Amino acid sequence: MLHFDCGSCNGCDIETLACLTPVYDIERFGVINVGNPMHADILLVTGTVNPRNKKVLVNLYDQMPNPKVVVAIGSCGLSGGIFKDAYNVLGGIDKVIPVDVYVPGCPAKPEAIIDGVVMALKKYEVIKKKHSDSVPSRMKWRKIAP
Amino acid sequence: MRETLLAIFIGLFATPLLGGLINGLDRIITARLQGRIGPPVWQPFYDVIKLLSKEKMVVNVWQAFCAYAYLSAAAISVVLFFLKSDLLLILFIQAVGAVFVVIGALSSTSPFSQVGAHRELLQILSYEPLLILVVAGIYLEIGSFKIDDIYAWGQPLIFKLPFLFIALGYALTIKLRKSPFDLSTSHHGHQEIVKGVLTDYSGPFLALIEIGHWYDIILILGLCSLFWATGWIGMIILVAITYFIEILIDNVTARMTWRWMIGYVWAMGLTLSIVNLIWINLA
Amino acid sequence: MAELSFLLVVFPMLAACSCFLMRHNTIYSLIVIISGGLLIGSAILLIPLVPFSFSPKSFLGINIHEILTAADFLLLFIILYFGVKYKNWLINSLAIFQIVLLGYLEFFLINGSETYPIIYCDNLSLIMVLIICVVGSIICVQALPYMKKHETHLKIGVSRQPHFFFVMILFLGAMNGVVLSNDMILFYFFFELTTVCSFLLIGHDKTERATKNAVRALWMNSLGGAAFITALVFIYTRLGTLDMQYIIHADSKSQLVILSMALLCFAAFTKSAQFPFQSWLLGAMIAPTPVSALLHSSTMVKVGVYLALRLAPAIEGLFLTQCVTIFGAFTFLFAAALAVGQSNGKKVLAYSTISNLGLIFACVGLNTPESIAAAIILIIFHAVSKALLFLCVGTIEQHIESRNIEDMRGLYTKMPLTALISVMGVITMIMPPFGLLLGKWMAMEAASSFLCGIVMIAMGSALTVMYWARWAGILMSDPFAGKFKLEKQPVLTWAALFSLCIGVGVLSLLSPWIYRWCIIPIMGSDYLASYSTDYGIFENAFGVFAVLPLSLVAVAGFIIAILAVKSATHSRITMPYLSGLQTEEPRVFKGPMNRLITAEAGNYYLSSIFGEDKLTPWINLGAVILLTLVIGGAL
Repeated sequence: MLHFDCGSCNGCDIETLACLTPVYDIERFGVINVGNPMHADILLVTGTVNPRNKKVLVNLYDQMPNPKVVVAIGSCGLSGGIFKDAYNVLGGIDKVIPVDVYVPGCPAKPEAIIDGVVMALKKYEVIKKKHSDSVPSRMKWRKIAP
Repeated sequence: MRETLLAIFIGLFATPLLGGLINGLDRIITARLQGRIGPPVWQPFYDVIKLLSKEKMVVNVWQAFCAYAYLSAAAISVVLFFLKSDLLLILFIQAVGAVFVVIGALSSTSPFSQVGAHRELLQILSYEPLLILVVAGIYLEIGSFKIDDIYAWGQPLIFKLPFLFIALGYALTIKLRKSPFDLSTSHHGHQEIVKGVLTDYSGPFLALIEIGHWYDIILILGLCSLFWATGWIGMIILVAITYFIEILIDNVTARMTWRWMIGYVWAMGLTLSIVNLIWINLA
Repeated sequence: MAELSFLLVVFPMLAACSCFLMRHNTIYSLIVIISGGLLIGSAILLIPLVPFSFSPKSFLGINIHEILTAADFLLLFIILYFGVKYKNWLINSLAIFQIVLLGYLEFFLINGSETYPIIYCDNLSLIMVLIICVVGSIICVQALPYMKKHETHLKIGVSRQPHFFFVMILFLGAMNGVVLSNDMILFYFFFELTTVCSFLLIGHDKTERATKNAVRALWMNSLGGAAFITALVFIYTRLGTLDMQYIIHADSKSQLVILSMALLCFAAFTKSAQFPFQSWLLGAMIAPTPVSALLHSSTMVKVGVYLALRLAPAIEGLFLTQCVTIFGAFTFLFAAALAVGQSNGKKVLAYSTISNLGLIFACVGLNTPESIAAAIILIIFHAVSKALLFLCVGTIEQHIESRNIEDMRGLYTKMPLTALISVMGVITMIMPPFGLLLGKWMAMEAASSFLCGIVMIAMGSALTVMYWARWAGILMSDPFAGKFKLEKQPVLTWAALFSLCIGVGVLSLLSPWIYRWCIIPIMGSDYLASYSTDYGIFENAFGVFAVLPLSLVAVAGFIIAILAVKSATHSRITMPYLSGLQTEEPRVFKGPMNRLITAEAGNYYLSSIFGEDKLTPWINLGAVILLTLVIGGAL
């Protein structure tokens, strides 16, 4: 899981990091926070998108190897939230990259975030299946049952 | 002949399973020490299988070469260990794998990867002399580098080589990528610059390196087990205690700088080794 | 035998002279190639003849001894001439000292005719001859295209290449002479001849720095020559002969003989550029790269280790032999440490040479059957691998006009094949199952019972891994999509690089048989050969190194990995991670205000610890103390 803070007020970020703590312990689901898109399957994005961080967001998304899923967190990530009409805000994450799971809230509760991540894991399996169907047949032996 | 084949089979296939299992247990124990529940014990396997099924993505195609070279060097060294071959030779082959990881990381221009690679080299620099001295100590005690001679030796080596065992502990900590020596890359994201030496490896190639790391874990724990080579039970208890202490150290210390690492490991490790070597020489 | 020895020693000198006289490009190129081929051929023809010994009585009707005496004096006067020319009182006084001692030895001490053979060739000499002829010739051949480019680059009007090749080929002849001679006076003559040759080669470019470094090389090696001739006087006074085989097996515990052994070791240390004499070899880097390749791999520095190896049975069991071990291990460790602190590629190679030679000395000093075998194996494989690396660096240097390792970053995109061969060369230096590591393995196992030695060797070998691995890594350091264009190089360059690269692989594979056929006979009665080599596996009572099986596994692994590379070329190529700010250029990221910024990453050279200026004075001091121990321990 890669966590990228687009332009959040840090509210959602703190709740996201709270998921790693002993109280919520997201590692129960085998999920750990990594600092590197190349090692990540889930991209977790908080905050609004602006022209500057849009490029970074796209770059990070591109550097994640397929299959991958994106989780947008918080009102800002979903739609731009209260900053929607600001001059520099483009809107939600899905204006830039395809989003698979939306987690609402301002800030989103850790329980909701964990729920979103677990949902993303399920979606990951589906995407993986599609992905392995699309790869050439000689690589199919790698296909693993969900 | 059958024994040889069995040893090769165990070395090739059973060790990664065992290594992954140890890794899973490690993650659970670490989580419990931190007041968490932790992942399922099979999580490392899930991760590797997932990575293998991911898209192949490289920065430089020679990374693929280096990943395969690392895996094969690690596997060969473990197989040789189970064939009861020469300890020094096993160390050399294990070093080949470590060097290939570094070369692969250096083949990317990302500064994160480069810095990680150099830190990995500094780690090799720190633990390599200790490993060689440990082997030299074993030779001085029993007069052979061959592992079957160690098994044939009547009494546990740890009584004669206690300081060298501690020195081996330093090497073990570095090799397992545990704090305070997890400079090049760490299992814990919270103290990591991106992912150090592994930054630009991804997907299946990262999985290969992970499997190689499992071989490495088994090799180095096997080296520890030689200090109580008289019976299975003693061996397992010794390794279990050592590994638990490693996890404990990992959880109570923070990452330090490379200067501190080289200074500390060379000063402490070499002193301990030399004292122990003098002891055997005189005894 | 006599004809072959003549071909190996005297013929190169004639060829050298003709090179010097026929100044036409095509002619001397042909002479170089033909004499290279002839040298290799006669070295191979020598194989079935060993061991042999003989004494040519006369040459063109003149007594051989008289020729020798005259040549010896001539050579010393040449050195004196250079000393006067460059106004170096040290060279002058050393030359005069040697002339006086030689005169004393020749005219006052030696009486009557010797009955011992002047030429003696056993398997050790044979191995050395093969190394000198094969590797040396390859280097000379590669020097042809190199020098052409070199002179165009320096814009030299009148070509000085005839002079250059004159000395190069003369050097090969002198080296053959050193390893074939049994008469110590003859040995001394060739010993001094290599000194003069190296002086001429180092100063070849005639720049101020080149001259300075050449003069330094001359005085340091003259120091060795002076020690050598002093030792000869002592030996003759006590034993009454200069027959090398007799001296080695004399088993005389006389103080004077032991002292002269120590002096000979001292001479060997200067020749092999051990601390504190490393500066001449480092200074030699100023010369064109083929010269460095020649000095470092097959000639010059190998004289020292050869001499020490010859003397090994004579010093067995003495305190001296332990001193040599400590000295060698000390050099091995600290030369490796200095190499870590270097970013200049050629200096890294130079320190690595010094370091490896230190290891060979340590092996000689350990004086066990395993360590002697280790020393010989190290000599063979060091020569081939180091020649390969030097030729690579030379080729790279001419292409990118820099010797700095940092400038070789991502060389793979510019000269893929050369970069790959260089990486191959590095791999042969540090990885099993290649021969150099086999030698190191034997050395470590032999040194394990010698506490002081093993500690230094263990640390040194870790440092060695460090400086080689990072070099190999950054040669490949560039994102790359799998398609590349081969660079263009002269045919002779490719021939030299490929033959050395394949040679080191084949030799490594054959090392068990080399051991069985060549090294066991060398041990002879002095040592009990201990390794068995069944199925290509080295095994003795306490160690085992499966060369052949491991090589096969390594080849299999290599093929799998290459296939992986091939399949990886079809995978998605991404840019290196730069915190999501990367652009189309691999090293450039978008900084504040959309400006493009290049990310820079340099190697750790740890110059605060391993810096040359920081460490060298202390190392020299330590080395001087150890040298005093070597000489003083003999008293």
